[in-house]
Amino acid sequence: MWLKLGQRLVSLMIVMFLVATMVFFLTRLAPGDPAALMLGDQATAEDIAQLRQVYGLDKPILVQFVLWLKEIASGNLGHSIFLQRPVIQAIAERAEPTFFLALFSVTIAALVGIPAGIVSAVWRGRPVDQIVSGLAMLAANIPSFWLGLIFIQLFAVRLGWFPVAGYGEPGAPFVERLAHLALPATVLGIVNSALIVRFTRASLLDVLSDDYVRTARSKGLSEARVVLRHAFGNALVPIVTVVALTAALLVGGAIVTETVFGLPGIGNLVVSAVLRRDYPVIQGALIVVAAVYVLINLLTDIIYTLADPRVRY
Amino acid sequence: MKTQRDRTGAFTRRGLGLAAAGVAASVLLGPSASWAQEKTSANLAMIGEPQSLDPMASTADLVSIIMQHVYEPLFTFDSHSAVQPMLAAKSPEISADGKTYTIEIRRGVKFHNGRELDSEDVVASLKRWVDLTPRGKALAKSITSISAKGPSTVEIVLSEPQPALLAHLALPSGFAVIMAKESIANPLVEFIGTGPYKFRERKPDQYVVLVKNEAYSSRGEPGDGYAGKREAKIDELRFIPVPNANTRVEGVIAGQYQFADQLPVESYKKVSTASGVNAVLTMPYGFPYIPTNTKQGPMADPKIRQAFQMALNTEELLLAAFGEPKFFTVTGEHFPKGSPFNSTADVDKYNKGDPDGAKKLLAEAKYDGSPIRILNSKQYDFHHRMALMMAEQLKAAGFKVSLDVVDWSTLVQRRGDPALWDVYITHSAFMPDPMLSPPQLGDGAPGWWKTPAKDAALAAFNGESDPAKRGPLWGKVQQVIYDEVPYIRVGNFAALSGVSGKMKGYTPMMMPAFWNVELTK
Repeated sequence: MWLKLGQRLVSLMIVMFLVATMVFFLTRLAPGDPAALMLGDQATAEDIAQLRQVYGLDKPILVQFVLWLKEIASGNLGHSIFLQRPVIQAIAERAEPTFFLALFSVTIAALVGIPAGIVSAVWRGRPVDQIVSGLAMLAANIPSFWLGLIFIQLFAVRLGWFPVAGYGEPGAPFVERLAHLALPATVLGIVNSALIVRFTRASLLDVLSDDYVRTARSKGLSEARVVLRHAFGNALVPIVTVVALTAALLVGGAIVTETVFGLPGIGNLVVSAVLRRDYPVIQGALIVVAAVYVLINLLTDIIYTLADPRVRY
Repeated sequence: MKTQRDRTGAFTRRGLGLAAAGVAASVLLGPSASWAQEKTSANLAMIGEPQSLDPMASTADLVSIIMQHVYEPLFTFDSHSAVQPMLAAKSPEISADGKTYTIEIRRGVKFHNGRELDSEDVVASLKRWVDLTPRGKALAKSITSISAKGPSTVEIVLSEPQPALLAHLALPSGFAVIMAKESIANPLVEFIGTGPYKFRERKPDQYVVLVKNEAYSSRGEPGDGYAGKREAKIDELRFIPVPNANTRVEGVIAGQYQFADQLPVESYKKVSTASGVNAVLTMPYGFPYIPTNTKQGPMADPKIRQAFQMALNTEELLLAAFGEPKFFTVTGEHFPKGSPFNSTADVDKYNKGDPDGAKKLLAEAKYDGSPIRILNSKQYDFHHRMALMMAEQLKAAGFKVSLDVVDWSTLVQRRGDPALWDVYITHSAFMPDPMLSPPQLGDGAPGWWKTPAKDAALAAFNGESDPAKRGPLWGKVQQVIYDEVPYIRVGNFAALSGVSGKMKGYTPMMMPAFWNVELTK
């Protein structure tokens, strides 16, 4: 297993190199110039050229790429043109809301999605299945920004239960900061639960018709025990996959939700950086997100071996 | 908080437990509520995160809006757009040839680090402004020296008269603010000014916090625009980036923000009918304008530019952009009534919306049907809406049109290349002096307008130091603009803000300012 894991790590390094290459060149292929944007309307061509020189943007693109790779290899993600700070610092400052938003959203999505999927599978074709499937379909198709605005209107403006937006006032304690995540995490949880409902239902339906389930029932076990103990465990691999993928996507930044709720997260950071053509931030943030994504996938593979003893590496 | 010790002085397990619980409670629950009751603080929802907090390193309005509370300039504008002294003791003495400005500085003004302002600070700050900012660099050609003449006198010597010098020094964009000389660095690390608020903390994408400067030395004249008395009546200002406009709307209605900047005009009814919040319009806030490419392509022919001007119904463009007449004014006068630069010269050429007249001019110009490329960005929704309306008007006048819709960053890059566009859509904040905006009045700005008529009109205008004579001379420049069409000034538009009913004394201005403003319970 360790040998296999080692091989996976090597292939992950190759994936990361390919990601880095694509991120760099795709970023540079987009038109736009951070120097022109930064200097504004009154800047002359000489001012712009001077600033491009300061940030090394005047060098040939391959030279820029090699220099950047060297920096990345030494653990330096570069320096933000607009934020005037190291990219790693900019990411670290925004990691907390993104991490906890992802954690809470995935937890809500799993707590809603898995039981709903089980209920739907067990009572397949019954009214409860149709209701759950309908709601899941609805949740999957609701735009998160729309649901976010409705939640803000209802729970923050009318009822005043939650703050409208932001991540706490200056010096706000940890608990207060987390309270700002209640609405966005619920929105993301609801939207992302839809996929988990459908995967859980489909996966469970697959195993509920297997022989060992019939055997368990014929032994006189209760239906709850049959479903939860025997069937669910064997249906777990696809469910783990979809939960892990949801988590990975959310760690990359729930861009729309972060924008609607004014959360200072990684999604917001990347969007602002793209609009400003802040190349070091775009590149650095995407590398970090890709690394997290790849690591979560690796962890998922490891979890497979725990969930299903037949899976071996 | 005390930690229990046993007789030997060692920490007991119980004591450590209590201490840990205490620390955890203080971290989780934060500062005591009593502090919050004593101090007043205002949450101000702004359109985004400032690029920088150095008002010379960026021309972005947002940077100036925040940092005008921390730093002050030598001169500023009153509510009638007239230049008034701020850190200068009075208006400068200007030599008869208009080339030497002697500026006396107010005495007894203290920086946030407690040191008194002197002429060396002013010289160091102005030199930095000349080195760093686009406007300063443009003026550098005309500046022979900036020097201290005693502890509270500064002299600026020019090689040629620059009647707009004081307006440049007062303009809060690429701001000529005065910094403590020991804090000057590139980039700035400490933000030490003389303003009514001191910088306290910045957390990117979360907030910039300014706190009241208890030792602020105010001017004695009554507050008027940015000029006169400034008093910090709110203890703490928190500038919070809220890029989503709907969130700003909901936040100010819910009372989470006491001020929300630049709300969408569609939200006017919602904000104005909500309880506890006022919808405030700042008019004029800015003007959309459409530069033409006078260097290359079909628009290089002045007759085709005149046809372009003739074809445009600017009222329709403004309606498309802003929806309701209360959010814009249709005016061919580049400066409003009351401004020394108000002129009606050639305004009959504005807002013609005459496709037949345009067709005639196109025939005279032997227009070959080359498409007019309208470079525009959806990042500013009203730009794109104007572009769509304009395209239809031009088609009706016989132009062929192609819409190049790009993001703002791409537009800023492409407009620097004359091969890539024929007209583009942009906007500017309303500026009190003609030479401050748009940049096409200078040399080298996109559009590359340079003709003998322009040079002659601007030479006469810029060669006159007497404010009373400059007004009529602007009329000549306005006339040349209508004749040669280097850009179309579409009209003026307003900005909509949401202001809490508890916020008293707020005066709408282009750069929202929160001195002389208080929060009631």
